[in-house]
Formats: sequence, C-alpha cells, structure tokens
Amino acid sequence: MATATRYIGRPLKRKEDPRLIQGLAHYVDDLRLPEMHYVAFVRSPHAHARIRSIDTTRAQTAPGVLAVLTGQDLDKAMGVIPCAAQLPEMKLALRPPLAKERVLFVGEPVALVVAADRYTARDAAELVEVEYEPLTPVVDPEKALAKGAPVLHPQYSDNVAYRWELEGGDVKAAFAKADKVIRQRMVNQRLIPVAMEPRAVVADYQPGENQLTVWSSTQIPHLLRTQIAAVLGVPEYVVHVIAPEVGGGFGSKLNVYAEEVLVAHLAMRLGKPMKWTESRRENFQATIHGRDQIATMELAVRRDGTILGLRCRILADLGAYYQLLTPLIPTLTGLMICGCYKIPAVRVEITGVFTNKMATDAYRGAGRPEATYFIERAMDLVAAELKKDPAEIRRKNFPQPKEFPYATPTGLIYDSANYQKSLDAALKKSNYRKLRAQQAKLRRQGRYLGIGLSTYVEICAMGPSSAMPAGGWESATVRVEPTGKVNVLTGASPHGQGQETSFAQIAADLLGLEPDDIRVVHGDTAVVPYGIGTFGSRATAVGGTAVYTALTKVRDKLAAIAGHILQEDPKRLVFRDRKIFLKSNPAKSLAFAEAVSAAYVAKTLPPGMEPGLEATHFFEPSNFTFPFGAHVAVVEVDAETGEVHLLRYVAVDDCGRVINPLLVDGQVHGGIVQSLGQAFLEEAVYDENGQLLTGELTDYAIPRAWDVPRLETARTVTPSPVNPLGVKGVGEAGTIGATPALINAVVDALAPFGVRHLDMPARRERIWQLIRRARQAGSRPTARRAGAGRDRRVR
Amino acid sequence: MIPAAFEYHAPKSLEEALRLLNRHGSEAKLLAGGHSLLPLMKLRLAAPRCVIDLGRIHALRYIREENGRIAIGALTTHTEVLESPLLRTKCPLLPQTAWEIGDVQVRNRGTIGGSLAHADPAADYPAAVLALDAEIVAASADGTRTLRAAEFFVDMLTTALLPGEILTEVRVPVLPPGTGTAYRKLHQPASGFAIVGAAARLTLGSGGKVERVAVGLTGVAPKAYRAAAVEKALTGKKASEKLLAEAARHAVPQDVELLSDLHASAEYRKAMAVVFTRRALEDALARAQSKKR
Amino acid sequence: MKLQGSYTLPAKREAVWQLLNDPKRLAACLPGCEQLDVVGSDHYLVRLKLGLAAISGSFSGSVRLSDKKPPDSFRMNVEGRGAAGFVQGEANIELVSDGDQTVVRYSGVASVGGLLASVGNRMMELAARRTLEQFFANVASQLRA
Repeated sequence: MATATRYIGRPLKRKEDPRLIQGLAHYVDDLRLPEMHYVAFVRSPHAHARIRSIDTTRAQTAPGVLAVLTGQDLDKAMGVIPCAAQLPEMKLALRPPLAKERVLFVGEPVALVVAADRYTARDAAELVEVEYEPLTPVVDPEKALAKGAPVLHPQYSDNVAYRWELEGGDVKAAFAKADKVIRQRMVNQRLIPVAMEPRAVVADYQPGENQLTVWSSTQIPHLLRTQIAAVLGVPEYVVHVIAPEVGGGFGSKLNVYAEEVLVAHLAMRLGKPMKWTESRRENFQATIHGRDQIATMELAVRRDGTILGLRCRILADLGAYYQLLTPLIPTLTGLMICGCYKIPAVRVEITGVFTNKMATDAYRGAGRPEATYFIERAMDLVAAELKKDPAEIRRKNFPQPKEFPYATPTGLIYDSANYQKSLDAALKKSNYRKLRAQQAKLRRQGRYLGIGLSTYVEICAMGPSSAMPAGGWESATVRVEPTGKVNVLTGASPHGQGQETSFAQIAADLLGLEPDDIRVVHGDTAVVPYGIGTFGSRATAVGGTAVYTALTKVRDKLAAIAGHILQEDPKRLVFRDRKIFLKSNPAKSLAFAEAVSAAYVAKTLPPGMEPGLEATHFFEPSNFTFPFGAHVAVVEVDAETGEVHLLRYVAVDDCGRVINPLLVDGQVHGGIVQSLGQAFLEEAVYDENGQLLTGELTDYAIPRAWDVPRLETARTVTPSPVNPLGVKGVGEAGTIGATPALINAVVDALAPFGVRHLDMPARRERIWQLIRRARQAGSRPTARRAGAGRDRRVR
Repeated sequence: MIPAAFEYHAPKSLEEALRLLNRHGSEAKLLAGGHSLLPLMKLRLAAPRCVIDLGRIHALRYIREENGRIAIGALTTHTEVLESPLLRTKCPLLPQTAWEIGDVQVRNRGTIGGSLAHADPAADYPAAVLALDAEIVAASADGTRTLRAAEFFVDMLTTALLPGEILTEVRVPVLPPGTGTAYRKLHQPASGFAIVGAAARLTLGSGGKVERVAVGLTGVAPKAYRAAAVEKALTGKKASEKLLAEAARHAVPQDVELLSDLHASAEYRKAMAVVFTRRALEDALARAQSKKR
Repeated sequence: MKLQGSYTLPAKREAVWQLLNDPKRLAACLPGCEQLDVVGSDHYLVRLKLGLAAISGSFSGSVRLSDKKPPDSFRMNVEGRGAAGFVQGEANIELVSDGDQTVVRYSGVASVGGLLASVGNRMMELAARRTLEQFFANVASQLRA
C-alpha cells in the first residue's frame, strides 16, 4: 500500500467509548414511540408436549390488553423461521413462530399478549391457560438415536437430522501402519451465550408510506430485513431494519428469531408501535445455545510422534428446530479438525440429532472451538502416551512456513502461517522450561501446578460466497461531503468490535486525514448498502477490505481532480495532513477540502468526469483467512477442594496485519475469558425431563473479573495474501485457542493422579473425586496438604 | 423488573413500619437491601400485596459500642460492616465475613438485618453470628425482645421472628485479648453464595491452650449451625495444626440434613465442611497467636 | 427428584387408611389446601397455596388414588400447575402396623417444570420434603384429635 501508515497499527482509543461509558448510547430498549405497545410471550414449561387447548378469554378481557394471539391465529399470516443452511439429505425442522400442535422445548412461545404497558402484558400472559398433554422428552443426544426413542418430528422416522462425511487421504492405510492409536471420547458442552444486552425488538408500521421500521439488537440487519420480508410476505422495500447500539452478540444475534418476525407482524397487524425486550430467563431458554458436540477422536501415530491419520465421529445436539445456521456449525468442526498439523489422512463423520432443547447455532467460534479443543486435547494425549513434551509433539507435526499456502486433506487452503514462530514466542514469553522445573519441584511438595499448551489455527474472514450459505462478500460506500468530511458506510454491523475506530484509521491513512474527519456508519438498511453483517471474524478482513477498495476509488478520483487543478500527474500526488501535494515538491499542494469541493462545484473537473465524490465496493474474498497462535496456561489445582486457580495466561496470536493493537488485545482478552467460562464454569444443564436447570445467572456461572489474572498477550505478524490489507481477523481467536490450553493445564496438573482426560467444565467436585479416587486406589501421591488455597480475591 | 403489582410504603420510623406491618400482616413483605426479595419478586416467585421499604429508617443504621457489646443497626450495609474501624478492632469476624458476601454492588446495598431475617441456608452472616453468640433484637408493637443467635435460625428461610416483628439490631461481643477469628468460604461459582462457609473464633489461654472456641457453619444444611463436636474436641487442649485437623473432622454431625444441588453434592459439601472448618481454625489460631505475641 | 421416607402415625392402620381415603379429612391435612372437590371415585381436584417464607405460589391440579389394597397400600398421583410452573408426582404408599401405631412408608418420583425447575433447583428437594413432613404432621394431629 503506497500510503503512509500514520494511524494504521496505532493503539487509538475507541471512538465508540465516550458515548457508551457516559450512558449516551441508544439501545433498542431505550426507544420510546408514541402509543407504543408491549409484547409478552407465553412460553411452554414442558420440553415435549401436545397442546390440547389454549384459553385466552381471561387474558383478552384484562384491562389494557390489545390482543392475545396463538399459533392458530397466525396460521396464514406468516411463514416459518428461516434456516439458511443446506446440507445433502438434511431433514428440515423449521419452526413456526408460535407453536401450533406441539411444543418441542422449554421456553417455546405458544401465545403472545399485546398490552399498553409491559406490566399489563406480563400480568395478562399469566392469564392465558394452556392445557398440555406431556410427551416423553428426548434430552440425551445419544439416547435420541436409540431404537424406540420418541421422535420429535413425526414426519420422520427418527431423530437424525443429517449425516455428513468427509474423507481425505488414505485413512485405512494410515491406521494400518500406525504404531499406536490414541482414542478418546470428549464432550464439548452446551453453552449459553449470555450477551449483556438480551434481545430486544421495536417495530413501527406507517401505512401511508407503507414502511415497516424494525429496530433489533442484531448482528445482521440486512439479512434480517430480507428474511422479515420473506416471512411476512411483503416486498423487501417495505421493511427497514436498524441495529442501533448492540450490547453484545457473540453469534447469538446472528439469527432470525421468532420474536423478531412476530413483533414486526404485530406492528402491521395492530397498527401500533410494538416493543419486546427479552428477560434474562427468556434469554437463557429461547436464544440460541452454542457448542454441544460429543466427539470420538482417534489419532494414528508413529512412535516418534508423527501423526499419520485422524478419525473423528461427532454427535452434534442441534436442539428441537433449526435456527439460521444450526445444521452448518458442526461441519466447520469437521473442516478444521486437523488443526495446525500436517495430517495426511482424515475421516470425519458427523451426525446431527434433534433433542427437546433450544437450537444450537453460532456462538463465538462456531464449530472451530470444538475442533481446536478436540485436536489439541488429542495432541496432549499423544504426548502423554509417548512420554514426550507436548510442545515437541506439536512442533513435529507443523507444516513448514514454506509449505504455505497449505492444502489440508479436508479441502481447505491455509493462506499463510508460521506456527513454529508463534509457538517459540509463547514458550519464551511463558518461560516454559522454567515452568516445567517449577512444576517438578512443587509436585515434590504436594502442590499441583499444571501447564497447558494450545497451538491453534482458525478459519476466519467468512468468506468466499461459493462456500457460504448466502453470500460471503461485504460492501462499503465512501461518501465524501462537500466540506471534505468523510462518511464510511459499511455493510458489516459492528457491535463492540470497534470498527468505527479501525475503519476510520484506514480511511485517515488512505485519504491523508485525521480519524475525526471520518464517521463510520453501519447498521441501518436505509442508509448503508446491502451487506452481510458481523460474524465469523469477517468485519475487518472482508468489510475492511471493501472499505479500503472504496477508499482507493475515491482517492483515485480525487487525485485526478487535484492533478487536473495542479497541472500535475495524479500518480505523483501524495495525500497527507489534509492536503494533496506533489511528492517531489510539497509546496505545490491543494487542501483536501478544496479538491473535494471541486468535485461538487464541478467547474474545474477533468473533461468527461462525473461530478460528486462517492464510491461503493462489494468485496468478494478469494479465500478464507487462517489466523493462528500459541497459548500457554498455568494453573494450580487445590488437591483438597478440587478448585482450579489460573495463575498465568500467555497468548501469542497472529491475526495478520494489525490495524489497532488495542482492539486486537480487547478481542483476545474477551475471548480468553469466555474460554475460561467454558473450561471451568459454564454448562447449560437440562434435567432428564428437559427442564433447563441453569435457568438464571444464579446457577449458570460466567467468569468474573476476579477469576482472571493479568493476561499476557503478544503477537507475531504473518500478513494474509487474501486481501490487500493483509489482515486475518481476531474476533474469535481467544475462544478458539484458549479452551484447550486451560483444560490441558488442568489435566497436566492432575497427571500425578493418573488423570488422562477430564470433560468440561472442569468442576471442582469432579476434580476432587478424581483425586480422591486416585488416593484411595493407593500408589498415587498422598501429599498431606495441597496448595495454600489461594483466596479468589486479592485483598 | 416486571413484578406483580404491589402497594409500596416507605416509612421513616420504626414505629410507622411496625404499624404498617400490623395493618397488612402476612400480605406484607419487608424490604431492606432487596437482594433476596427483589429477585424473587422479579421472577414472581414472591408476589406480596404490599412492600414496606425500611430503607428510609435511618435510625436503624449504626455501629456503636454499648455496655461492652457492639450494637449494629439492622439496616447497616455489608460495606459498612466491612469498613467499620470499631468492628475491625473489636470484633473482626463480622468484617471478615462481610468481605466474602457477593460483590461490591451487593455489599453496598445488602444489609445485615435483611440477610439474617431472610435466613437463606447459604448466606454468610449466620455462620458468624452463631460463632459470636450474637444477640438479635426484634421489635414489635408490644416492645422488643432479644433472641440468642442459636435460637434464631429455625429452618431454611425460617427464623424465630414472629409475625409483626421487625429485626432491628444485632449485638456482638467485644472479643477478649488472645482471640483470633476467620471466615473461610467455598463460593458457589454462579451466585457467590456459600457452598460451605466456616466462621471460627478462637481464644488462646495460658500455655497455648484453647480457652474458648466457636465454629459456625453455613451452606451445609437447611440452617446454619454450631459445630459443637469440633469445639469440644479443641477446648482446653494445646493448639496445634494436628489438633485442628482432627477436630475439624467433626464439622458435620451425623443428624445433619445435608444440602445438595447442581454445584455440590451432599458428599462433597460434607468433605468441604471439614476442609473449610480446618482452614478457618488455622487462620483464627494464627491470628490469635500473633495477637498474643 | 426421588422422594422417599417414612413417618410414624399415632393410630392403627385402619384409622390411618380411613383418614387418607376420606377426601374431607385429607383436604384438612394437605398443606395450603384452599379447595378440594371430588370429581370421581378417588379423583379430586385441588387448589393449593404452597410456599416457604417469601416464596409462594398457587397451584391447581388433581389427586388420584389407585391400586388400592386396603389397608396395606395405594398409589397416589398428584399433578398441579400454576404461574410458577408445574409439579407432578407419583408415589407408592404403604401402611405397616407397629403396635398401636402405623408406619407410613412412601417412595416415589416427583418432577417440577417451568420457573420452579429453572430457578428453584437448590431448594426444591428440601421444600418438597418439608411439605411432606407438614402433611404427615397434620395427619398425626388429625388422628390425635
């Protein structure tokens, strides 16, 4: 890029933050419209039941109630909740916005109440009487496959949603010539995304203009608009979607929800503005869940540690119905199962299964954390089996830097990497050898230090449209105003990632301006061109590239105008300090604003040039990008209580070129902390009747500040050849890389007790039991006293 | 928060609050810090017709020394307990316990009276007030009466408070020289409540003998209790690490109805009661020894 | 949730049997029972207000008795629902003579759904046990009366 990088690469503070931390930002629930009405949902308390009858009489006659509707009332008014994923021979399991004959999970809406205020709506919802005939719920995904298990969707003969297979290389031969086969069943448990802001929707219909405006806390305003139009059966131009401030998504708002289309429908049907804000309990029950895969991994290895082949069978619990991408997520696990290792032969078999639970879908990492966890745990098992250091086993199987672009047997092309370099950096930064020595010393004292490694690669910058369910490109418009100020309109929909800052940095450098000269606009379908949205670590690599290319078009035009005015070759002009000047003679210059003004006044334009100054670009990436890194976790297990204390965390990430290191660190920190949640704390627990026992934050544990030590981050930089910025994406790196490092550390700490594997979350009672069992079996260390039991808070 | 409709009263004096309580009887709930009542109302597990907010009765918010004891007004927040110089020097077990309650927000709103009157089986204060032989003062239209901590906790969420009574004060002793105290807790990872909370108070006599010891345990059973067998095993004996460990084994009497939930089975709770009792005793002993010197 | 236990009542088996099978007297023993209507033989509709301190909820549902083997044993099926969720339970109840007293042994399975299941987990089992204890205490005092 022949541009000075005065801002790209600098740790600029976020332009978004002043309004957020001063309470000046607007979320959906902050909206108040005249005559606004409120929606409350009546939800099923049963996981599996037939609806015998719904009596809405009492609710309907309650003062202040405008309407009470059931699935039957909506019958012809709307379609089903869309699923964009298509897999060969996949059974459809599409959800009606309100349940009709049956309910298939706890929290499924069966009726709704519209009232003049939210209190009346909630009160009236309790007056709706639903008679259920309970059916046997299907909760355990393994039992769901058993012969004779109740079938969720009666049009099918069993609960198998799909089977998906992938094979590359000669798997049979690899296993035949292996010295050893390492085998392990692993559970990647069901998680609840817990965005700080729950979902919220406001809809307003103006019949005169035939305009339906929907404000939704969503990651995908444009796709939502298309889908609302389709579900409601209205032309797309009727619908206008705005994603105002969005208080966290993590994939849970990369969806089209029943509540969104219902609230939109109600605004049109009843002619009043409608609002619905999800409660935390509803958020737990009826917003998508993540993960929930059971894998059986098999690695064929040579005695020297070379991995010859991999077999993996995955059972993916999809829940009761499909949401937008439900069936697709586990296939990402399949594609990435080799991790950053050169494994010549691979076979993956995935079975998607229906159960009486909320649907799973994309949750930060979406399929890749599962893949990374499975392969990284397996690598540690190989190291343990062969009595080799986990770092050496990894290094032995890395492809060499010169082998990139590297083709995997799963059919992907890893763009660029240097895995050796990031591993070396992480080992050095953590002082790995010294840690091992310390561990040995402490073990002799009866203290259990664990050191866990993870070297990961992820698939990002989603993605080439050929490989995406509904387009993988991104759009940008750069519109320079006559005064010389710049609007960057992006089709991506940032909701915390900080692109209002990083895109302004790119624009400032390309146009020789200051970041304050640039305003980044997003999330409004009437303002920004059609775009795909923010997910899959794509906003900078795909959306940023669209911005970059649109900026280049604007700059070329401005250079032509300035060249014409200055009577110089545009190619010799430089953009800097809000000026356009001759590189060899900076005195020969034109203010940026003057050149812009010329484009609008249109008296001094080069012959034939069209006036105005605006450019749009739709960027179609040629490949995904593949960020990578190496993480080291150091934990101490309190052998008396089973508590795990995270002592240190070192993360070396490579996300290609860095636009703003502060933003990258923020993404890495947040991701690691979410990983910590999965590794140690979080699990959506359904009981045998399909009741969600972790139904509130009092029982579903998420990490707190005191759980997290100072995170030690560093980077290597291997630019991506896939886009001109050389960026790869970093939004999910932490959640993908960290979970296995944390569990590997716990298992490493427990090695003296003969522990080989431990499923997540690493609950202290489970650890306590493993230790106790080992001690009872004798022959294991019987240190009288474990670690001092560090207090969770520093006083 | 979308609770069921309720009538709201904010009396400014105890007398007014008692009158309101008498008038509304079992239809009324008292609101102090709100950390237990409001979540229940939000979920509509509780739907009182009437809420009497005690928050404006400033006269119930104090910590002062009176007749050789320290009196704490029921509306004193956990943060006020935690930061009180008087308690920190003369009865540090309460500040040590307050420090382990919830998080900053909870400690800034939650009150000692509210917590005790709610009698959550996993709340922290009950262990400490038992170990301190605290007195709990209840006021009613007929006057006040004083209850011993040991008789105050009746069952899960049930206390000896009678209808029409308001808990107004907690009285704890000024601890004698040579006393060390500690509260050690295994947190429930989501709620921060105690899976096990052990409060220990230990006074050393001459020759390093345990002159007096008290251990209160919370989180283990439907109500907090005194670990009498632990105390008996220690009293009059020369304190040592070994002795504490052995005594701690008696933390859970045979007849205790152990709690069990998603986060800890009965078996694990029982084992942790022993571990945390020992740890609390160790800390208390170390503090007692350092004060002796 | 498994519920199992026994309770010794101060009366002979026949008297206990009679009481448990007399809807009117049964209603007086059911904790928080606000209404009990007989809708068939051994089939009652009930409305209960159950609670523990600040927590309370109204449930309406049914009680059915079956497999009656007087005066040895019967099965009891209870179903209730309210705003806080639903409760379902089935228990086998056995009466064993012990001199002038009767030991009632119950063993069954109960499940809760809705709000109660998702937020009440930690106290649910204890609350169920307490409700049963209350019930038997009421029966005992009825028998004494």
